[in-house]
Amino acid sequence: MKVRDFKWLFGKNSEFWPTNMKTGMWAWVGHRLTGLVLVAYVFLHLSFLSTASVGDDGASFNDLMATTSQPLFVAMDFLLVIVVIYHAMNGLRVVLFDLGLGIRRQKLVFWVCMAVAAVLIVGGLWAIWDLIFVSSGGA
Amino acid sequence: MPEQKISTSKVAGTWAWAFQRLSAVLLIVFLAIHIYADHFMDLDEHTGDDPLITFEGVSLRLDQLFYIVVDYGMLSMVLFHGLNGLRTVMFDFDMFAKRKKLVDVGLWVVGLATLVWGIIILLPFITGSGG
Repeated sequence: MKVRDFKWLFGKNSEFWPTNMKTGMWAWVGHRLTGLVLVAYVFLHLSFLSTASVGDDGASFNDLMATTSQPLFVAMDFLLVIVVIYHAMNGLRVVLFDLGLGIRRQKLVFWVCMAVAAVLIVGGLWAIWDLIFVSSGGA
Repeated sequence: MPEQKISTSKVAGTWAWAFQRLSAVLLIVFLAIHIYADHFMDLDEHTGDDPLITFEGVSLRLDQLFYIVVDYGMLSMVLFHGLNGLRTVMFDFDMFAKRKKLVDVGLWVVGLATLVWGIIILLPFITGSGG
């Protein structure tokens, strides 16, 4: 594997070079990147849950939850909220197109989906705000 | 684009494509319930700086068949959707597209093993006895 094998990905003439990308391409790249992040998160999530099998009556799990309810971790949860909502709303757009809906107005559909995503993300921030900025954490 | 000799959509297959969409829609529903139940439902009763999520709290929720179905349903859908998505990304690269059988078998093994692992790690919550 040589560096030039990746020119299609990083080269200035590549369709992934930022100035060469249009809305749909950004959406597609974003979908893949968030998707990969979420696959990694699922395994992290399961490994956290597996602590319930260690210690008496979920003591290890409760300790871990006390740590992860600290503001820094909750702030990271908010990043997860952004990633999930983007992936879900852009995914909804993909499903709509596959059903033959909205293809002719694909840019509009993208921005409507992103507007809904923005509203949901702001709602998420509102719900999570106190846990990041007011609570001193569960420790 | 990668210099594709093999078309990604042909390698990935129609069934995988259809189930990716189906699992996507189901995941939105499951996720909404999962997040609501875990983070919002008991928020009114939450006081002070106690952790929102405790072993006892999750156990209490997983006493109900509904939430067991939601969580295990979500586990199976998320594993399919995530690993099948990863498969689609991999098939955009010739080095993986050329080894379709190996990739498919590998991802099925990872998926099924993780499914079994996921089923097992939720059992302490369902039976209400950790450790």
